[in-house]
Amino acid sequence: MGLADFFRNFFQRNGLFLSLFLLAAVGFWVFFLIILPQIFMIDFSFRFNLPPAEMGGPKDVYTISHYKFLVYGSEQSADSYNFIDLSVFLRTIGAAVFVTIFDLAICYPIAYYLAQVAKGGWARLMVLSLIVPFWVNEILRAFAFRIIFGSNGIINEALLALGIIDDPYPFIRDNIALYAGLGYAFVLLMIFPLYNAIESLDKNQIEAARDLGSPWWRIHARIVIPFAKPGISSGCTMVFMLTAGALAAPEILGGPSSLWFTQIIYQWFNTGGNWPRGSAYAIILLSTCIAFVLLMMRVFKVKLGEIAR
Amino acid sequence: MISDRAVKLGVLLFVAMFFAYLFGPLIIMSITAFNSADFPRVAPWDCFSVEWFDVLVNDDKLMDGLRNSIIIGVGVVVLAVPIGLAGALMLMHVGQRVRPWYYTIVVSPILIPGVVLGISTLIFWDRLGAMFNAGYESIFYDGIFLTIVGQTTFISAYAMLVFISRLQRFDPALEEAALDLGASNVQTFRKILLPFLKPAIGSAAVLAFLASFENYNTTVFTITSESTLTTVLASKVRYGINPSISALAVVIVTLTLFAAAVMEIKKRRTEAFDKAIAKAVIEGTDALSRLGRKSNRLIDPAFAMIILIFVAGIGTAYYAGTVGVDECKAAVEEAKRAAVQRRIEELRQRRMFQGAQPGVQQAPTTQPSGTSDVQAPGTEGYQGIFAPTNLEGQVKGEDDGGQTQPSGTDRPAPGTEGYQNIFAPQNLEGQVKGEQEGDEAGQDQNPDGSQAEPSSDAERPAPGTEGYQGIFAPTNLQNQVKSSD
Repeated sequence: MGLADFFRNFFQRNGLFLSLFLLAAVGFWVFFLIILPQIFMIDFSFRFNLPPAEMGGPKDVYTISHYKFLVYGSEQSADSYNFIDLSVFLRTIGAAVFVTIFDLAICYPIAYYLAQVAKGGWARLMVLSLIVPFWVNEILRAFAFRIIFGSNGIINEALLALGIIDDPYPFIRDNIALYAGLGYAFVLLMIFPLYNAIESLDKNQIEAARDLGSPWWRIHARIVIPFAKPGISSGCTMVFMLTAGALAAPEILGGPSSLWFTQIIYQWFNTGGNWPRGSAYAIILLSTCIAFVLLMMRVFKVKLGEIAR
Repeated sequence: MISDRAVKLGVLLFVAMFFAYLFGPLIIMSITAFNSADFPRVAPWDCFSVEWFDVLVNDDKLMDGLRNSIIIGVGVVVLAVPIGLAGALMLMHVGQRVRPWYYTIVVSPILIPGVVLGISTLIFWDRLGAMFNAGYESIFYDGIFLTIVGQTTFISAYAMLVFISRLQRFDPALEEAALDLGASNVQTFRKILLPFLKPAIGSAAVLAFLASFENYNTTVFTITSESTLTTVLASKVRYGINPSISALAVVIVTLTLFAAAVMEIKKRRTEAFDKAIAKAVIEGTDALSRLGRKSNRLIDPAFAMIILIFVAGIGTAYYAGTVGVDECKAAVEEAKRAAVQRRIEELRQRRMFQGAQPGVQQAPTTQPSGTSDVQAPGTEGYQGIFAPTNLEGQVKGEDDGGQTQPSGTDRPAPGTEGYQNIFAPQNLEGQVKGEQEGDEAGQDQNPDGSQAEPSSDAERPAPGTEGYQGIFAPTNLQNQVKSSD
């Protein structure tokens, strides 16, 4: 089917007015909001950081210096590699993986419980109540963790009062508050896909397996988990992406000496004043996330449509 | 079977813990909004008050941000809902071969990190502005416009997913029938498709507004010199915490709870209606007519109940939070002042005493700590408000004090602690620690003091002021400890 055929059919089916609306809206979205900005960002990341007057001038040539900078650092520095940025990057990715696994570990039993074990109005109330923290601002959620984990927060107060510790434990400096807060912030993006997937599993399958003498762990390994694969991959992808791309929680809960990769990007844009370098770093982040999605699709053998739901 | 029961109990415990993790932070944050203390905290409770709500409403920056957030939210709804609808309808029209590509492209904004979306939007419009030689006041550099556009990129995809899931239940035969009966394309769209999509349009609009309202990652890049509620909040949380932010959280949590309750009731009612219809079909019309009567009531009793509960709750909180707060705060203030006064007094006396006869250091370790213990509960009862944990901490502090400083000069400290007891137990701990540090530091700073002298006066005022300021977290102390290490 040629393009002309497609448009003829399209206009015939929808009429002129509707066709124009659809084409204009989707065209604006796809080109002006999605594709072109990304292309411009990629283009920008391969250019030198020039003052506006020199842009487009003879000095405005392509370069990979910003990507080099992430790996090797500034040419003046003594280190052969850019240890600071690289370690922040690796730690961000590592922490994101850790948070993802943590969320999966606590959400799977809950999702299974809500979807298969709990019954009636009670289960429904619990599912409904999951929505409430979801709509509370990300910053406010991080703020709540700051109150709780602060050096005179409620946990330290309780531990001191019980005599378990003698000094307030620096939860914030040790990034414990950050990991707890990140895990909390995205826990619902893990639990809803899992819940949706497990809920559609026929209870009879589980009962049949049980009747045939299968222990509980084998029921999960052979029936529930394979069935919930799309949900698991979707939840893991969302949590990983959002954790790696989080900005508010690390800003609020991060220790004074620890940075998140997004914070470095933000610094290049804000105080650093080097937009091309910031874009280059952003593209590194984006590529990592794409790689993670592809990995998830490969590992769980699911399609993209099943992940983004 | 016992093991069965144990498993069940374990599961219930796990579920309970999960929900505690989910709601605990929100509950604690909400409680701190009603504490009159300057720092959002629960444990040393000063006075129940709603003053932070006043602070919140009178915060111009925050209100400015709120206004911008609402403007942006409306803008995003206006843009993202039609775009999402168009995107979903387009999906039905594109051919089999193009569909996966198209779907990948339009769904990708959900998976792209918000930071990246913000950056790409910022750069794109900046470059575009540069191409047209537009001034910095033009739309290409306008924070609100950029934010609307940046957020629309991914919120349209949310809206599209809502429409797709609704469209999956659409019967295309309806459309064909309308066209066969002579309706025009626009008529079919308006009279058949739009009414069918109406609930989806509503939920997409709500979703779009909420997603825009709470977005931070994209906004922080695109907003440039303007501010939204989230960016103001973030800078506030970073640079100075005060409980008016908790008050905002209370407002948001209350609204969410309210919305969730209303939603649930509505859902239950439609379900009950469907059930009644099914029943009426089986049993005759009686059930249906009764239901009709029921739904004809002016105000639904469940709604009325919920509204009543919320209004009563807010009213009670407001009443309790405004009456007697000043007296309570005055009392707390007075107690603090008296405590500090007394501390200074003691310090002076001790100094004089020490100057007179240094030998007193060897005061008996067996000095009855009981006296201060007895005294403490008395004052505790007097002030009444303060949690018993304070007492525990106090007793503990005394134990520590007894172990680390067997000297008589330290005895009075626990006593004053009992008197003040407004201050968190960790102050005491910190103090004890500070004193220990003082011991070490004192050896350098007070060369005239003997090695055996367990405490140096040079360090002594520090814990006192610590108690007085109270706001300063023990981290200060820790830093101090660190630096002295």
